[in-house]
Amino acid sequence: MMWLSGGFVFRRGTSVYHRLDPRVKLLLSVLMFATTLLVRSVYELALVLAFMVGIAAIATVLRRVARTMVFTASFSVIIFVLNLVFTGSWVTSLLYAVRFVAIVMSTSLFFITTSPDELEQVMKTFRLPRDVVFAFVTAVRFIPVLLLDTIQIMDAQKSRGLELEKGNVFRRVRNMIPILIPLVVNSVVRSGELAEAMESRAYGAVAKPSSLVEYKSSLADKAVAVAAIAVFVLAAYSFYYVLPAKFP
Amino acid sequence: MIEFQDVTYVHLNGVKALDGVSLKIDTGETVAIVGENGAGKTTLVKHVTGLLKPASGTVLVDSQSTTATSTAQLSRKVGVAFQNPDHQLFSESVEEEMSFALRNFGFAPELVEQRVSWGLELFGLDEYRKSSPLVLSGGEKKRLTLACILAWDPEVVILDEPTVGQDSIQKEKLVQTIRMLSSAGKTVVVVSHDIEFLWPMQPRVVVMRAGKIVGDGPASKLMQEKELLDSARVAQPELVALYQSLDARPPSPFVDPLDARRWLENGGTGP
Repeated sequence: MMWLSGGFVFRRGTSVYHRLDPRVKLLLSVLMFATTLLVRSVYELALVLAFMVGIAAIATVLRRVARTMVFTASFSVIIFVLNLVFTGSWVTSLLYAVRFVAIVMSTSLFFITTSPDELEQVMKTFRLPRDVVFAFVTAVRFIPVLLLDTIQIMDAQKSRGLELEKGNVFRRVRNMIPILIPLVVNSVVRSGELAEAMESRAYGAVAKPSSLVEYKSSLADKAVAVAAIAVFVLAAYSFYYVLPAKFP
Repeated sequence: MIEFQDVTYVHLNGVKALDGVSLKIDTGETVAIVGENGAGKTTLVKHVTGLLKPASGTVLVDSQSTTATSTAQLSRKVGVAFQNPDHQLFSESVEEEMSFALRNFGFAPELVEQRVSWGLELFGLDEYRKSSPLVLSGGEKKRLTLACILAWDPEVVILDEPTVGQDSIQKEKLVQTIRMLSSAGKTVVVVSHDIEFLWPMQPRVVVMRAGKIVGDGPASKLMQEKELLDSARVAQPELVALYQSLDARPPSPFVDPLDARRWLENGGTGP
């Protein structure tokens, strides 16, 4: 479980991509996401995927992105089978299945290279309510904590003779009760404690609190943003006008 | 008997939590594992129940490799009370919580009832029998987890930081319980930072630092090695520190301050 979680959880890095303004990283992810929706053939999708793999290589997160793909592959198989059953087309089914992987990859690239603090700054840029921003960022920040809790709870219950992998589907679901109840209870207790700790440190005392970090885009950030938009426009144009003419 | 043979374990983030650990714990021994945070103490005990499998080396419990045995099978022999009791409590009532493991191990209903009553009485939790375990105080939850483990009478009992959240009376009761287990021939492994709690039991002490065992011996001898303890960030028991600061060397390890006072009043001579 911890191995898979590496594909979704932020870890500090020193790559060029990590150092980009988080707003630019968000723009890149949104554009990659949009591009995966624009493609109309498996070949075009392969091009987009190759581009994303390139970005992952620059960000030195290739292995972690691979974990994301392993995780999403199981869902992709379901998408493929369902589409095959209802459309009967191998190509369309494959397109939808791989598109799902690409969509998850585009968002994963943003989340594994952007710290919760940067995420908070990005959300503030959109002038979202402070409470909403705080709740969302805290939820993201607590994902690794919850994962660790889950593992520790599983360890504790396995040490009391609980066999999670034993029995039929119904028994396996029932076996999850001793895992889920402590997990939910701990999360509720922790959120209550967090709320008290925040209030005792003057959270909400003023309507517009000051900020420790103010992001200012560098020239390089702006250049990357412009280049990303240019590549997106070029890709969209190629997908709709150039490639269909050459490879009808 | 528990045996670690040149065991190495590496976490997913690449940190070497155990680095060539070799250790033998005989049946009926009481062993305290001490060391600073992150020294590898909890990782070490998780290998005994097979929750973690060594990257290299072998862990044997009663000559059985933990790699080839499931945690469920090993837990019948080895009971572990983890640091945080909130990680295991989930049942509607305290008695159901206690009977969870007993039912998993297939105990007969009469025996379950008998063992639950025994455990609740031993740890002073009888009045909470029908209460939800979630409403108990931190110390009571900790005692309940210990009662849950002892209920199925494992051969090896591992207590991970058992004194956290316990008042002095409960700590004293815990010492008595460990002594009782020891006299019943159980192997007891205690992972703790609480040296004052460990000292009266005079256990064999294993000192860990950065995934390695850097000290192993009886508490009476090891706790006098200030340099070793300092390097592992382990505090000396106050009594031992007092003797050392007085430049006095007691002939036998005093576990009771009154004995120590008598010895000092006699001019630091005699037993």
